[in-house]
Amino acid sequence: MAEKILSKNFDVQGAHTLRGYRDGGGYRGWDKAKGMEPAAITEEVKRSNLRGLGGAGFPTGVKWGFIPKGSTAPKYLVVNADEGEPGTFKDRYILERDPHALIEGMLIAARAIDSRLGFVYIRGEYVQPWRAFSAAVKEAYDAGLLGPSVPGGGFDIVIHRGAGAYICGEETGLISSLEGMKGWPKVKPPFPAVKGAFGQPTIVNNVETLACLPHIVTRGGEWFAGLGTKTQGGTRLYSVSGHVARPGVVEAPVSVTLRQLIYDHCGGIRGGRRLKAVVPGGSSAAILTPDEIDIPMDVDGPKSKGSMIGSAGVIVMDDTVSIPDALMVVARFYAHESCGQCTPCRESTGWIYRMAHRIVEGKGRKEDLDNILDVAKRGAGTTICAFYDGAVGPYISYIEKFREEFEALIRSGAHA
Amino acid sequence: MADPKNPRFTEAQLAEVRRLQGLYPDKRGALLPVLHLAQDTFGYISLEIEAYVGTLFELSPAHVHEVVTFYTMYFQQPRGRHVVAVCHNLSCHLMGAKDIIEHCKTRLGVEPGETTADGKVTLLTVECLCACELAPMMQVDDRYEGLLTTDKVDGILGGLA
Amino acid sequence: MPKLTINGKEIEVPAGTNLIEAARAAGAEVPHYCYHPGLSIAGQCRLCMVDIDKVPRPQIACNTQVAEGMVVHTETDRVKDTRRSIMEFHLINHPLDCPVCDQAGECWLQIYYMKHGLYDPRMTDEKVHKPKAVPLGPHVILDAERCILCSRCVRFCDEITGTGELGIFQRGDHSEIGLFPGTVLDNNYSGNVIDICPVGALTDRDFRFQVRVWYLDSARSLCNGCARGCNVEIHTSKQRPHHNQGKRIARLKPRFNAEVNQWWLCDIGRYGFRWIDDDSRLTAPAVKTDGQAMETTWDEALAAVAGALGRHRPDEVGVLASPQMSNEDLWALRRLLDGLGVANRDFTVPPREPGEDDKLLLRADRNPNTRGATLLGLGPGPGGLDAGGILDAAAQKKVKCLWVLHHELTASGFAAARVNGALAGAETLIFQGTNAGLTSARASVVLPSAAYAEGDGTFTNFQGRVQRFRPAVTPLGEAQPDWRVFGRLAARVPKLAAAADPALGAERPDQVFAALAAAVPAYAGLTYRSLGDAGQMVKA
Repeated sequence: MAEKILSKNFDVQGAHTLRGYRDGGGYRGWDKAKGMEPAAITEEVKRSNLRGLGGAGFPTGVKWGFIPKGSTAPKYLVVNADEGEPGTFKDRYILERDPHALIEGMLIAARAIDSRLGFVYIRGEYVQPWRAFSAAVKEAYDAGLLGPSVPGGGFDIVIHRGAGAYICGEETGLISSLEGMKGWPKVKPPFPAVKGAFGQPTIVNNVETLACLPHIVTRGGEWFAGLGTKTQGGTRLYSVSGHVARPGVVEAPVSVTLRQLIYDHCGGIRGGRRLKAVVPGGSSAAILTPDEIDIPMDVDGPKSKGSMIGSAGVIVMDDTVSIPDALMVVARFYAHESCGQCTPCRESTGWIYRMAHRIVEGKGRKEDLDNILDVAKRGAGTTICAFYDGAVGPYISYIEKFREEFEALIRSGAHA
Repeated sequence: MADPKNPRFTEAQLAEVRRLQGLYPDKRGALLPVLHLAQDTFGYISLEIEAYVGTLFELSPAHVHEVVTFYTMYFQQPRGRHVVAVCHNLSCHLMGAKDIIEHCKTRLGVEPGETTADGKVTLLTVECLCACELAPMMQVDDRYEGLLTTDKVDGILGGLA
Repeated sequence: MPKLTINGKEIEVPAGTNLIEAARAAGAEVPHYCYHPGLSIAGQCRLCMVDIDKVPRPQIACNTQVAEGMVVHTETDRVKDTRRSIMEFHLINHPLDCPVCDQAGECWLQIYYMKHGLYDPRMTDEKVHKPKAVPLGPHVILDAERCILCSRCVRFCDEITGTGELGIFQRGDHSEIGLFPGTVLDNNYSGNVIDICPVGALTDRDFRFQVRVWYLDSARSLCNGCARGCNVEIHTSKQRPHHNQGKRIARLKPRFNAEVNQWWLCDIGRYGFRWIDDDSRLTAPAVKTDGQAMETTWDEALAAVAGALGRHRPDEVGVLASPQMSNEDLWALRRLLDGLGVANRDFTVPPREPGEDDKLLLRADRNPNTRGATLLGLGPGPGGLDAGGILDAAAQKKVKCLWVLHHELTASGFAAARVNGALAGAETLIFQGTNAGLTSARASVVLPSAAYAEGDGTFTNFQGRVQRFRPAVTPLGEAQPDWRVFGRLAARVPKLAAAADPALGAERPDQVFAALAAAVPAYAGLTYRSLGDAGQMVKA
């Protein structure tokens, strides 16, 4: 078993407190970062090959570099703790069990991008994580780790609770919501690094991404890069759920294969059943078949099979699962969560759900499958944000990879 | 409880509103938190509350209404003393959410979105709450309850006051 | 200014121009719904996709600004295919109720479907249902099922009027525009949301079901509701005279003028046209004999007026001209009064309730041509009385012939007793105007005026912009444009006839205008042709 880095505190009694966190070596990264030039921190992060762990997988150091050089405007660090991608639950663990890792990561990132104000956007349903993180922030303030004494002009954290909308996990939807509006994603350009929250340069980073920073600063970007693959450094937290024997958060180097995650880390398929399909990166990732699981779970592995690593939420389905039924569930989700702002997504997520629902109700028509595929392909890439492209992943892959099952269901006219 | 049809924050709550507004570069940022405060205070977000909150932000009531109707956590009707929200997204669905939902419906005698006649429980089905390792799971007020079985659900529902 | 190529054509446009406007400049139309040049960029409809060299996939033109050397294509196969898809998405939940929709014929869903859609419909599932026929306010009615959620109306109320009445509620395909429950859309610019709604979601309660738009004719005109002179189109129902409840004028629509009203028109102006087709219109001259008003011919009525003007000394004549009159009317009147030596003249009659500037378009002065009346010298001549003085002199029987043009004195800001005294005191009361009222009822001679929409002419707005209006309809009954009446009167006064004043001898209004431009320095050099559609400023 490889070394635990991000999850090392998860099962340590008291590690969520400042004292416990410090006992485990916490805030040493920040202590070191305080002595570093901001640009040097960014360079270290670039060297680490850290990729955003919320879903998009964009290189973190590069993202920071998009803030206009020499900008004297206030810059905001926004933490995306709006965990919502179906099949993903790792940020909840960090907020509840290792909240100081996030605070420390924020201090480092804020120094790198010259930010004096950070917002932590926690999904509204996460009440316990919100309380746990709030307690940690209070401890950090009381200890002088946050507030005016932070070198470089001080640093404050505002904790912002969402109110129930998946789209707020999209970074500009999150910004809209933070600004007190509906979570409608913003039309780009401008990009947040230029004009983000409240019109100012803004960096939005995921919880887990930031939690990597103390380790990168302490042990070096090269070390972190060495843990992973050529294009992505580090370990990451895989959320594994569904029909595995031992669901849960698994930390592994990003070179771990999907097969290893399922069979070695999570005990294989429950009840000794057969694997039928697996979603590798949250529900927006295209589904994979059992012959497609020998891939590294970095940003490139799932991509090589037409899917994506996304938020690394692995949803495992055994041979009892009806894929048309699963598609109906997923389509219902995207129809429910489409923000309604732009036309292709607003109108077609509902239509596709109605078709998928009809199919599992035994009222499918033979043209439905081609219609779903065609509508999805036509809508892909035409929208304001990536939500619809995420919905298209399952629409297309479920049908293309399990077409016979859909066709048989439609022919039989039976309920799924 | 404060009257949702004639909503007024107390002086202390108004001070909290101002504090929240001061946390953001533009006070509108505090709209969601203030709506949470209003819902905690008044039980749900009535139209009167929307209009009242609008005055605190110099926002037209239509713009507050947009926000309230967009997010799932703002209740626009009175809710039960407890809210039981069962996840029906993929992982929970795979692990038997359908049976859990059916069981809740039968036991409570309501459909999702409805409140029991005694005003005790509002039943909801919701999208992923991101506790899939606990599937099937549900949220009961502030708490996540997972690895549900019908027996476990009976115990949880039976324990609600 | 960046140079770029659009569909092979090189153009140069100011930096900051977006690709919709740049394409327009290059002669290419990029279809769009949510984009409106007067509103912020929303990027919601996704219809305005264009291809840009070196960009992997089509981009929305509304949110893409021109850049030096950019190469844009608006009609690639990929763009056309994307448009077809976006059109289909727009129509998934649309009720397709064109036969009963008032927008039919000017609906951008219809227009773009025919131009860019033409796909085979395949959506056979139940559509999402939303509220229908919901009155939003005094003028606007909503059909939420027809709405494509482009948010133009919402942005209008946020950005132009700042009133924020409208919002988009709910989310996903249940999103719908609407008002906060219990409120109404009744700001003075509410009608504009009808204009900018590209589909049949927001229609005009006033115009609804009156006449199909393809039976309408259109004339470029002006609003006469205040001193701004918003540019409008007057839409008339002449092809189907039995429609529109038999009225000729069906509606006013704003016409773009960057310097005056941009794209907008206020509701007071928009719905202020009723008087033109009202039953109260004066349609024949009348002369009162033995206290009884009798319709008569123009010849007899003009003879009566000429007789009165001949009977009384010039200082016994008082004339209340009106800033409702065109420059042409005012100038011909000025020449007539100068010829007669009448100095008791004025055009300023205070309104009963003073208007207010609304900081957007509407001006406190609700007259379209106060500036023209001022510049053309319709105020008191040397030693002449002003309006109040004229009324008082009439009451004292010092002014014996009182000639009132267009003013309804009994509804003015002058005290009722003062007006009554004047109307009772005048030996000869001439009323010249468009509509009957208490003043015309007491007149010994009534001369029916053509409404401004019934002829050609110009107003000078508060900015000093001289703007043309063109005939939307013909004069009702026997009504005549005032300038012509003054000319015909002059012909009956030997002294004036001999002078052959070009304004009074004119056959057409442009000749009157040419005469005033030649005589009044502020208007020097202006002609109907040079005024064009946007108007020209008077000389400072």
